[in-house]
Amino acid sequence: MELKKQPKLASDFWPSFIKNARLDLILGQILVFTIIILILIITNIATIDSINLWLILTTAFIANIAILLMFTNKITKPTKKLLAAIIQINGETPILPVSSPNSEDDDKTGFQDALQTIYKLSSNQNPDKKATSKNITSNNLISQALDSTVCGFVAMDDKRQIIYANKSAPISINTDNKEYLSLIFNENDGIDEWLDKCSNNSVHNEKIWTRVPDKLPNNEGRRFFDCIANYQRGAIPEVVLSLIDRTSTYSIDEENLDFMSFAAHELRGPITVIRGYLDVLNDELVDVLKDDQSELFSRLIVSANRLSGYINNILNTSKYDRRHLKIQLREDNVARVYDTISDDMRLRAKAQRRLLTVSIPENLPTIAVDSTSMGEVFSNLIDNAVKYSNEGGAINITARANDSFVEVEFKDHGIGMSENIISNLFQKFYRSHRSRETVAGTGIGLYICKAIVESHGGTISIQSEEGKGSTFTVSIPIYATIAEKLKASNNSNVGIISEGRGWIKNHSMYRG
Amino acid sequence: MANKTILCIEDDRFIGEMYVRSLKKAGYEVDWMVDGNDGLVAARNKQYDFILLDIMLPERKGTEILASLRGGKQNLIPKSRVIVLTNFEQDEDSRAVMEHNADAYLIKAEITPKKLISVIQQLGG
Repeated sequence: MELKKQPKLASDFWPSFIKNARLDLILGQILVFTIIILILIITNIATIDSINLWLILTTAFIANIAILLMFTNKITKPTKKLLAAIIQINGETPILPVSSPNSEDDDKTGFQDALQTIYKLSSNQNPDKKATSKNITSNNLISQALDSTVCGFVAMDDKRQIIYANKSAPISINTDNKEYLSLIFNENDGIDEWLDKCSNNSVHNEKIWTRVPDKLPNNEGRRFFDCIANYQRGAIPEVVLSLIDRTSTYSIDEENLDFMSFAAHELRGPITVIRGYLDVLNDELVDVLKDDQSELFSRLIVSANRLSGYINNILNTSKYDRRHLKIQLREDNVARVYDTISDDMRLRAKAQRRLLTVSIPENLPTIAVDSTSMGEVFSNLIDNAVKYSNEGGAINITARANDSFVEVEFKDHGIGMSENIISNLFQKFYRSHRSRETVAGTGIGLYICKAIVESHGGTISIQSEEGKGSTFTVSIPIYATIAEKLKASNNSNVGIISEGRGWIKNHSMYRG
Repeated sequence: MANKTILCIEDDRFIGEMYVRSLKKAGYEVDWMVDGNDGLVAARNKQYDFILLDIMLPERKGTEILASLRGGKQNLIPKSRVIVLTNFEQDEDSRAVMEHNADAYLIKAEITPKKLISVIQQLGG
């Protein structure tokens, strides 16, 4: 097989150039002296056997060559220095001594400016070639190979500065002329948050994020990446990101998500009517309905509310997957969050014959929470507890402070689950084989619960035993731990009261 | 004291009737318009205490109606409170515009008539 010719390197130029230049100089001198000898002999100024003639000419020849070589060295010195700088910037094996761009001699001659210009131009145009190594030629080949892939590779140092990025990596430059990663992660689940955790707790760590876009929707050239991060404390580089371009797969998903979102919005219309009329009729029929009719009526209300919850799950999932899920954190407490869903939950437990007990102490520290979203998490977990327990079974909700978190526990005494089910439980669309056969569901409830809780900077965990029941624990950061950060970002919302996913202006506040 | 007046601009017959019925029962005087043009004319002709405004409307969208009434130099409805009722959630940009021009923004699927009345009362009704 024919080997491909390697491209010429800058370092190959100097040896052949200087060799040819010296050879030309010597040949030129020989030619000049031959002509002089011929003229002297032809004009009879000297004879060919004159020792004096040969002595003088030989001395002159040698002296001339020496002087010319000295001048050549002097004349080519700037070229040599520029070439040495280019070889160094290119990362090739150094063959010439590199002079400092700050040397005093060069400063006097003004050559320093030319050298510094070269270094400046190189740092502006080739920011990805900052890393130097002795085995530069092979690094160059690797760099060229990485530049020709569609995957992005990014290396960062211990200060999280980008020290290498190949051409496909989604990199932008900010106003301080620093490179940064232009990827849109979910709130509180980005690379910075992960690196904060790593630098506190890990020597080595790995994490994968899927479908991370580089631009917001409707922007031209939007790409999606699966991002694999490796962290190794103290190593150079400390962080390596491999970004696999999955635009072709995820952009089709994006259309499906658009459809899901549109379908869910359409479903909200009839749900508005059903819930509204049930609300109206509930008041009007309260004295008319017999006991068993009242029970049927409350089942209608419970079902309509559950349907509304599922629609919110679909919308939340579609928003979360497209990085649109916004969490508005405010200071509140667990009891008030539960209050927003308590009527609905009480009715649901009663209609489905479960014994719901809620014990949330009043004196718990306040939490930083989006009460609508967290209410949906609580509602989903209670809905699950109802689904996977038996008629007459108890469901206990308790809360306690634990260090800088408030933990809320949802305990049922139902069918429980095995270890291998638990490990997949929070994956989207996951339904265990058993629950596929016995319980209806979409497999997105726990997925969106985890997403919402993690967007709060919290965690969700589970303990379960087959046949004995399951306990889900949601840990939410207490307000004091992130108060300063929130105060800075929430100022613009003064005078607005949240009402579910909408809002009401607080006019009494304006008047005051 | 005279009853508070409400203009409901809502094209869905079921939803419109539901709000009108509940609000009338709660003692409000209610006018109901089903398209955007009629809604805008009604809002200009009479100073209502409250305007319930849907976004997706035939002829003229709710956002356009709001811009005509409050978006210019002059506030044409200084005495009215505007409650936007929709099933679409806002993005950050339209939220900023709405916060400037509307008094409340509610998701219809989350708001039962009873809750709507409590919001109206909260806004001074």
